[in-house]
Amino acid sequence: MVTVGVLTAIAFALRFYKINHPDQVVFDEVHFGKFAAYYILREYYFDVHPPFAKLLFGFAGWFVGFDGHFSFENIGDNYTENHVPYVGMRALPAILGSLTVPVVYAIMKESGYGTVIAAFSASIVLFDNAHVAQSRLILLDATLVFFMSLTIYSYVRFRKLRYVSFSPEWWGWLLATGVFMACTWGSKVNGILTVLAIGAAVLVDLWDLLDIRQTGHTMDNFTRHFAARAFGLILVPLIVYLSFFWVHFAILVKSGPGDTFMSPQFQESLTGNDMLMNSHEIRYYDTITLMHKDTKVLLHSHAERYPLRYDDGRVSSQGQQVTGYGHADENNWWQVVPTKALPDTGRGRIVRHGDVIQLLHVNTQSYLLTHDVASPLMATNQEFTTWPKDDYSRYNETHFHLYVNGAHEGEALKTKSGHLRLVHAPTKVSLWTHREQLPDWAFKQQEVNGEKNPSDKGATWYVDEIISAEDGEDFLNRTSASTNKDPKPMNFFKKFAELQLLMLQHNAGLTASHPYASNPINWPFMLSGISFWTENADQKQIYFIGNIVGWWTCAVGLSVFIGIIGGDLLARRREEFPIPDPVRNRLWNSTGFFVLVWFVHYFPFFLMNRQLFLHHYLPSHVTSALVAGAVLHFLVSDTVNYPISKRGHFTKPKPREYAELGLKGPIIVGVFAVALFAAFVYIAPLTYGTPGLDGETVNAKRLLSSWTLHFAAKNT
Amino acid sequence: MAPSVRARRPASPPPGLPHAAPRFPPRQGHLDADERRAAASLGFGPSRKSAYALGGFSITPGEWKLLVAVVIIASAVRLFRLSKPDSVVFDEVHFGKFASRYIKTRYFVDVHPPLAKLLITLAAFLSGYDGNFDFKDIGKSYENVPYVSMRMLPATLGIATVPLSYLTLRGLDCRATTALLASLLITFENGLITQSRHILLDSPLIFFTALATFLWVGFCNEDKHEPFTTRWWSWLTLTGLGLGAVVSSKWVGLFTIATIGLGTIKQLWVLLGDLRVPPRIWLKHFWARALCLIVVPILFYMAMFQIHFLILENSGEGDGFMSAEFQHTLGGHSMADTYADVAMGSKVTIRHVNTQGGYLHSHGHNYPGGSQQQQVTLYPHQDTNNEWRIINATQTGDPSADWDQLEGLHYITTGTRIKLRHLATEKNLHSHDFRPPVSEVDFQNEVSGYGMPGFIGDMNDDWFVEIDHGDRRDPESSRRVRTLGSQFRLRHALTGCYLFSHKVKLPSWGFEQQEVTCNKNAVRPNSLWMIEKNDHTKLPANAPKVNYRNPGFLAKFWELQQVMWTTNAGLTDRHTFDSRPSSWPMLRRGINFWVKDHRQIYLTGNPLVWWLSTAAVLAYSAIRGLLVLRSQRGYRDFENTKVVKYDALCGFLFIGWGLHYFPFFLMGRQLFLHHYLPALYFAILMLCGVFDFLTSTLRPRVRLQIAGIIILLAIWNFSIFSPLAYGSPWTKSKCTDSQWLKTWDFSW
Repeated sequence: MVTVGVLTAIAFALRFYKINHPDQVVFDEVHFGKFAAYYILREYYFDVHPPFAKLLFGFAGWFVGFDGHFSFENIGDNYTENHVPYVGMRALPAILGSLTVPVVYAIMKESGYGTVIAAFSASIVLFDNAHVAQSRLILLDATLVFFMSLTIYSYVRFRKLRYVSFSPEWWGWLLATGVFMACTWGSKVNGILTVLAIGAAVLVDLWDLLDIRQTGHTMDNFTRHFAARAFGLILVPLIVYLSFFWVHFAILVKSGPGDTFMSPQFQESLTGNDMLMNSHEIRYYDTITLMHKDTKVLLHSHAERYPLRYDDGRVSSQGQQVTGYGHADENNWWQVVPTKALPDTGRGRIVRHGDVIQLLHVNTQSYLLTHDVASPLMATNQEFTTWPKDDYSRYNETHFHLYVNGAHEGEALKTKSGHLRLVHAPTKVSLWTHREQLPDWAFKQQEVNGEKNPSDKGATWYVDEIISAEDGEDFLNRTSASTNKDPKPMNFFKKFAELQLLMLQHNAGLTASHPYASNPINWPFMLSGISFWTENADQKQIYFIGNIVGWWTCAVGLSVFIGIIGGDLLARRREEFPIPDPVRNRLWNSTGFFVLVWFVHYFPFFLMNRQLFLHHYLPSHVTSALVAGAVLHFLVSDTVNYPISKRGHFTKPKPREYAELGLKGPIIVGVFAVALFAAFVYIAPLTYGTPGLDGETVNAKRLLSSWTLHFAAKNT
Repeated sequence: MAPSVRARRPASPPPGLPHAAPRFPPRQGHLDADERRAAASLGFGPSRKSAYALGGFSITPGEWKLLVAVVIIASAVRLFRLSKPDSVVFDEVHFGKFASRYIKTRYFVDVHPPLAKLLITLAAFLSGYDGNFDFKDIGKSYENVPYVSMRMLPATLGIATVPLSYLTLRGLDCRATTALLASLLITFENGLITQSRHILLDSPLIFFTALATFLWVGFCNEDKHEPFTTRWWSWLTLTGLGLGAVVSSKWVGLFTIATIGLGTIKQLWVLLGDLRVPPRIWLKHFWARALCLIVVPILFYMAMFQIHFLILENSGEGDGFMSAEFQHTLGGHSMADTYADVAMGSKVTIRHVNTQGGYLHSHGHNYPGGSQQQQVTLYPHQDTNNEWRIINATQTGDPSADWDQLEGLHYITTGTRIKLRHLATEKNLHSHDFRPPVSEVDFQNEVSGYGMPGFIGDMNDDWFVEIDHGDRRDPESSRRVRTLGSQFRLRHALTGCYLFSHKVKLPSWGFEQQEVTCNKNAVRPNSLWMIEKNDHTKLPANAPKVNYRNPGFLAKFWELQQVMWTTNAGLTDRHTFDSRPSSWPMLRRGINFWVKDHRQIYLTGNPLVWWLSTAAVLAYSAIRGLLVLRSQRGYRDFENTKVVKYDALCGFLFIGWGLHYFPFFLMGRQLFLHHYLPALYFAILMLCGVFDFLTSTLRPRVRLQIAGIIILLAIWNFSIFSPLAYGSPWTKSKCTDSQWLKTWDFSW
């Protein structure tokens, strides 16, 4: 008790030390501070991470009286000048980060290791510069790590009750695991890895329950276990996870910067949304402009023609150019012409999903057309051009099917909200464009061509505005009876599904290179860190990097574990049994579980193409600290505390054993803790961003040559 | 994770061995089979002519006749009108071109290793091809190209795959009917036919995959019988050579290596558990396999590259991918020796170290945006516009005019403040607070040429030299700048940014040369520069000179591997007919190879074969999963000899299929349907394994009849889609009728 109290106290001290410094926006506080402000203003925003941790920040901000009117625009913006109660917001991750330390200690104790070993693992996290740096700022990782360690703790407690299944206690820890798992997942996208790790452990557990050689493992028993876990570890977390989004949507009811990511239907559920306010039906013979959804250019044409021969030797049709143009211009005006008979008045004149239309370029009085001629830049796509209005020789080739995305039969096309595709009737290509400029002969405008792939995302357009109606009537008010400017409610599950899908897509799309992004293979050895913040005047900087003693110990611990397991397997294959059974079981079941969690939180990053940072390793680092403790125990002692699981009615009583660490255990851990603390203090100026360092000191602090610190003295 | 209780299996014969029938009839002798095996493991094998079939392939003379008939059918199917179309089809654009390059000995870089391309070149060379055709566009008509003999090579290897499949299944202890079924299904597989009729690498790849698998099966049969005999060693070495050939055709061959590697690990694991095998013998097993299955393939692979380098001795279009040292080894790129000592006033060319963009370059054209001053770029070729003069920036007066007024030689060290004068246009290398034209980000500044004759220039022309490292063989070069040896960075004096370049091309106004900027967050490798040519008026004629060192074979080999890897990973552009792996087993979409004169060649499979093989894979994995679950519940399926036999057979083929298929999911590069073909080969063998299992209780005649029906259905399918394989005329209605899936996008 004393030990854990002391550890927790030191943890709080280290994480709250000078928490008000720097009084500037640091690194990703740009994002997460901003999101907290949006919660307070109730304006809709979009982010790739689930909302739980950000909701906590929003709550913390609201609690300490932040009014949301500071926008966290740039790294280095000053908080004090703008009266932002940032210390309160930073206190939240600092508290959670500090509490991670006793949780790590508790995991080790519950797993049957002695106080000394538990303190060893806890101190690796306690004196870690990376965890401290991450916990002192408005960032999501402290929350993630805290809930992840709570999940592990709950699962360990749950496993220890396996001989008294279905007792109230057993249910309690099962549900706790599920709830904490959902909180981890709800904090950050990569929390899903915790779900996978627990899932893998549960599968192994279920596999053992299926084993007929164990007594009492009937099929009926298995089904009950399976159902209980499905309820506690799938259904409950899902409900908790969904409830975060429910709160998210319930708070964010106003239109905000996230609108444009969402579907028109979603946008119309937000108060004050542009689309909601300015969406009109279109009638035939209206003059409109067509905007490309992804690249925001308008469909454009002008009297100039395609050159006969391009630079690469291919020839064109020499027809009138059709391009994409980013600015308002009369040459963007197109008239919607019907291909069927229309009634003189009334709703029969409305343009609808599935109609076949012609588009008349108003200034040159010619129809949009595409044909089997390769486009200027892409030999695989068709060229678009126009054809004079009164020449009927190619009438059929000017027909386009108009498809509105997600529309039902006969739904009317609306400006802004109706995302549409124009599919050429004879050749089935879609009107398409991409960010490629045509050469000088087309004034560097964007190339427009016909894409054969009918589902390509780049083929989505919408009607930006109605310029005028044919008979000059007031097109804004002709449908006034049917317009309704109140937000249209949308089903929560639809909203959730849409947002979740977008989050995944955008997460995968974060592939731009970043100067401090790193490859996962570097992480266990922390070959490179991240520069969070710098201040030139005093040569202060925050450089995110771990405690080199702690991290390398963890890496060694993992390698030793793999060595022991490999040696044991080989020896057993030759029918030699060097490790006594209780010790071996502890190695496989307890330490093996930690290694599994480490692996699941680490390895998937190798498969990701998005930009990755050292802080993605933090959850794995915590588990590797657990592994290091277990391995240390194995090395200094031949015995384990045994048994540690609660005995059930049918389990045989076993003689109690206690691990004997002798004197060398505490000595090793003591010496190690001192080394750890020394390394921590040495790097501390980079973690706390104070005091400023001169060039020589910076050079001295650069323990690995791959660290890119600022203000380093030039070596001459 | 309780330790699993392993039921001890009888140690001999090892698991995985079909227990069904004694294929090797016991010889009369005083030892029983177990004792003989034990004796053999100890190396005391009796040295007599063995009575068992070579590699376990006991094939009757009747079967040989059958096999000849199958080969004749396969030849007819694959060689039919091979000369049509007489124009370039699909990737013949590339591989035809590479053959031309080989014959012209002009260096090129491709993402694939050389073996298959060398074979195609050989075919072309023997038919007297002169290398003058450019294979520019799909559909271009052949003139003076022996394209039929070039196509003969993949076609022949495609034909050879058919009997290999037969023999492999026989070696895996399947019945002759089953093996016949497999060989005919492969014969009439439209995808394999189409792919083997053109100058493409996949047919050699599939052939070598089939060959390596066949040899491995033979080796396993020998190994079960008696290790360390001459024949055992031959099969093992041949397997190694086969693996070398696969991986030298395409890197996909690594999956074949993985398949056989897993098989080897399993063999060794089983041997390790056999306590009668002493550690010394086990180590012998281990080293024999390491030698033949790791060292031999690597040597083979490297030998192919050696041939590649020997042939491509002259400079060509691939130069730009390679380092300066490498280029120096190619004819037409050699450089005269140049002075080693760089000093104030030296006339130099400066090369960017990390990218192969070339030399720091400027020319009399201005940036269209930003400062609108003169462009500074990287230019890969030698040119007088690459020449700069190093001028002392701390000199008083007009240093650009008086640069030769200095007394003696002033060497450049770290911290030296210099200006760089572009000789042709008399402008200084300059940087200032404008965003560069393409990389418009905050931490990069534009670099331009600025100034005029007689103008001293301003402080923005000043750069500090920082030597990063020197050449280890020339210790002096890490203390002061020396030609070729020293790699240095140039820090802009006023803004502290580093002269930087990266693989970003300027638009057409910059002649698509590489962008040069000044970067405040420069990654080290991209801000390193070196001096390649150096001349100074005051240096005596006998001053030390240097030149590039000729890289050895290993250095060249390793460099080329890296270039191939990065180029391969960079093939991420979309292609109209690319597809993702998930669509392959269902044959969702093919590839349009060629369209001309209302005829089309479209790579698609034989739907029956394709779908049945996928069904077989799914059936096996489902049944195997069920069996594992059942065994956990105490059922003893795995003690049934029939289950054991077919599990070993299908398990091997399933691993082959999985390892040739699933890794593609991890690849971000553009992928095509034809990448599935090696996996398809395993899937078809698997289909036949499942057939063998399902018909094992039937009478031979009935089995033959069922096989006949399947073959007839396959031929019917083949005939429907054959116009797409041969590019023969087709009526529109037939074409539309055969569009069974909406996603098959031929016929529009």
